[in-house]
Amino acid sequence: MAVSVSTSTIPSLNSGCSNRFAAPSSSSSSLQFPLRVPQIRIGTTGLWSPSRPRVLLVKATKQTFSSFDDLLANTDKPVLVDFYATWCGPCQFMAPVLNEVSARLKDKIQVVKIDTEKYPSIADKYRIEALPTFIIFKDREPYDRFEGALTADQLIQRIENTLKVKQ
Amino acid sequence: MTLQAQASSSFAVGIPSLTSPLGGSSHRLVVRAKVEPSDKSVEIMRKFSEQYARKSGTYFCVDKGVTSVVIKGLADHKDSLGAPLCPCRHYDDKPAEAGQGFWNCPCVPMRERKECHCMLFLTPDNDFAGKEQAISLEEIKESTANM
Repeated sequence: MAVSVSTSTIPSLNSGCSNRFAAPSSSSSSLQFPLRVPQIRIGTTGLWSPSRPRVLLVKATKQTFSSFDDLLANTDKPVLVDFYATWCGPCQFMAPVLNEVSARLKDKIQVVKIDTEKYPSIADKYRIEALPTFIIFKDREPYDRFEGALTADQLIQRIENTLKVKQ
Repeated sequence: MTLQAQASSSFAVGIPSLTSPLGGSSHRLVVRAKVEPSDKSVEIMRKFSEQYARKSGTYFCVDKGVTSVVIKGLADHKDSLGAPLCPCRHYDDKPAEAGQGFWNCPCVPMRERKECHCMLFLTPDNDFAGKEQAISLEEIKESTANM
């Protein structure tokens, strides 16, 4: 059964320790891991103590993933992944843009953010260099990839072109 | 002492908060977001950014929040690595990169081609370029207060 992720909220991987505070300005629909977000637990990187489950209920949706691969496997829509870093200006610029895109395309794509400093192995796996880098995953594989900040309209256009062509 | 959870979300009380000040009267669980760069480094990178923008004929982003975040990112790397490594990149080995220098601000792409993907130094033709080459410490603090 596919796990349905609420599209008004953006799960983000940004902490190996449980002390990340959600920025009020972006928390309206961007969930900051782990305090009040769908918890994405990485079981393989040694960041988690197995004796301490870190699953939280968020609003009305309970979402649990044991790894990024698990998230990809359990999402029935294509996934837009934003690889970012805290002090990357354009990445922060994209936060409200991603909220808007997530809301406008809620039935078409799932938006996820990954903090490359907290999850460097995932960033290494996909050879991330410049930030922000966006990868659209379809059927668990990278499908389209682009770097840099863009407006909500530009991003939506890119997503729709990509998904249309591939379908 | 009681911990009050917000109504709209549930805090799992069992989660350890490494920096939360638990004690005294009842209050919301507050957790510090991240380490901030030192004021001294922020000031150094702020001055550098203003000077370099003037020198290179480039301008800050219309959204000064972007400028502020990058300046803090540069300051953060200056604190941790001794050099202002570009904060808009993912690295395998940050200390090695800082020692090597290609991505130390002003990075080689900026010096050679005025390419700044951090959107810190923007050529006038760039859609995001504003008209300013100055930014105050207050602006930086206000823009990044919510982070």
